[in-house]
Amino acid sequence: MIDIVGILSANLLYVLLITIGGTLVSFSVHFVPVGGAPAAMAQAPGIGTGTVQLAAGAGLTGLITAGTVLGLTNSIAIVLASGAVGAMLMIGSTMIIGQMVYVFGVGVPPAGGKSKYDPITKDQQDIYSSQGTEGHALPTASYISGIIGGGLGGLGGSLVYYSLVNVTNNIGMTDLAGLAGIFAVGIFFINAVIPSYNIGGTTEGFHDPKFKKWYRAVISSIIATFMCAIIGVLAIGGL
Amino acid sequence: MSAGGSGGPATGGIDHNKIIIFGIIGALVGIYAAYFLVNAIGSAFSFIAGLGAICSIVWGASAVRRVSNYGLGTGVPSIGMLAIGTGMVASLFGMAVGSIAGPIISFVTACIIGLVIGILANRIIGMGIPIMEQSMTEIAGAGSLTIVALSTTMSGTFMIETILPNVIGTGYIAMIFIIGALSILHPFNANLGPDEHQDRTLSTGFEKGAIAVIIAGIVATTTAGAASIPTILVGAFIWYTAFSKFYEYIKRDAHKVVGTGVLPTEEELE
Repeated sequence: MIDIVGILSANLLYVLLITIGGTLVSFSVHFVPVGGAPAAMAQAPGIGTGTVQLAAGAGLTGLITAGTVLGLTNSIAIVLASGAVGAMLMIGSTMIIGQMVYVFGVGVPPAGGKSKYDPITKDQQDIYSSQGTEGHALPTASYISGIIGGGLGGLGGSLVYYSLVNVTNNIGMTDLAGLAGIFAVGIFFINAVIPSYNIGGTTEGFHDPKFKKWYRAVISSIIATFMCAIIGVLAIGGL
Repeated sequence: MSAGGSGGPATGGIDHNKIIIFGIIGALVGIYAAYFLVNAIGSAFSFIAGLGAICSIVWGASAVRRVSNYGLGTGVPSIGMLAIGTGMVASLFGMAVGSIAGPIISFVTACIIGLVIGILANRIIGMGIPIMEQSMTEIAGAGSLTIVALSTTMSGTFMIETILPNVIGTGYIAMIFIIGALSILHPFNANLGPDEHQDRTLSTGFEKGAIAVIIAGIVATTTAGAASIPTILVGAFIWYTAFSKFYEYIKRDAHKVVGTGVLPTEEELE
């Protein structure tokens, strides 16, 4: 049997970093403008798919960029920055392509439904919303909110990956990268789903009233990720 | 906004408790039988773990059906991804520390994490789904058994020394992640609606599980401990049977099934 206390006390810092990373992912989901099925029909603002798919797309890209950079340097700042930038690029390109489809394909102007004026540009929103819809496409505030969400998510995901790779172990580098990567993906998905239940599947971004509920998902994620962090560190440290 | 589900408990068909027993016993027996038979006789028996994977997948699909019927608000895929995310963390831990008890440790760990997430979802997030705690426990447990069973189908053993270079280092674990998640979430996601029936949903579960087994069989061509041909053949047979059954249920449940014919040619349109 493995030395549970020994491994945990030697890697306590990484347990805490993984918990912080997972919690950051959970917080980041609240920023991403997800519209779900109504947005896919241009009847609500946001990107027309589910939270989990978006978080996964952006977060996994962040994980891949962080993993690639980790092969070249062990500096935590560069790894985290590349993870964040990778996820921001991915969510940004998803939103810009989605925006083009809404504007040139569906033929609707970007307009939010949760506030009368865009909190960033101060443009009036309600007069551009089609009748019977809550708004459509991605107004500026939602777009910027999404970029912030992508950045935080990528930061959290790469923090989890960085911590898992650095746990003291006796595994070869290729196997370690696979093991830490899939652990990070598992923790990422848990922390992407918890907040998506919190916001009920759709949000417009930081100006959405649902955003105020973020602390509930964050508390839940701290507890859930802490358990996963202990398990992950024990599994990798015990090999 | 609620996506999918009628907002009440799922009804009809086989008692869910029987499916729970079928899933747990089937998967564990499949995994251990494959392990011991591969060790004692030969790699040809690795397909038995695939049968175990189908048992846990059908159980997972049934649990997803029960909880998603209340309307999760985020679509059915989210809970499948949560199941396999939790299952992945737990099963890698179980296989890494458990040696021969690996599958059982994986299962128990997954159930504990699932239960905690279920409690958090109801108490802190306030989802208010009465069966959330039980369902999250079941779904996470089914996810972990699916992962261990598919890993065993691919490599013939659940010992981490073999799994690490054959399944994790090569990246096939990522494939297990997504085929496991899809086979658990897809059956209800594809069949939901007012005319949803348990037998049709579960037949889709069998069919998706069989596809996962076929894919695991293809991967088994690259590993020494597992045989691919028996796995692929068994998977293909189960797939064909389950799909025929599924199509039969569609014809039973649909108002009418008609052929649309071939698309009209350009000349016919003029």
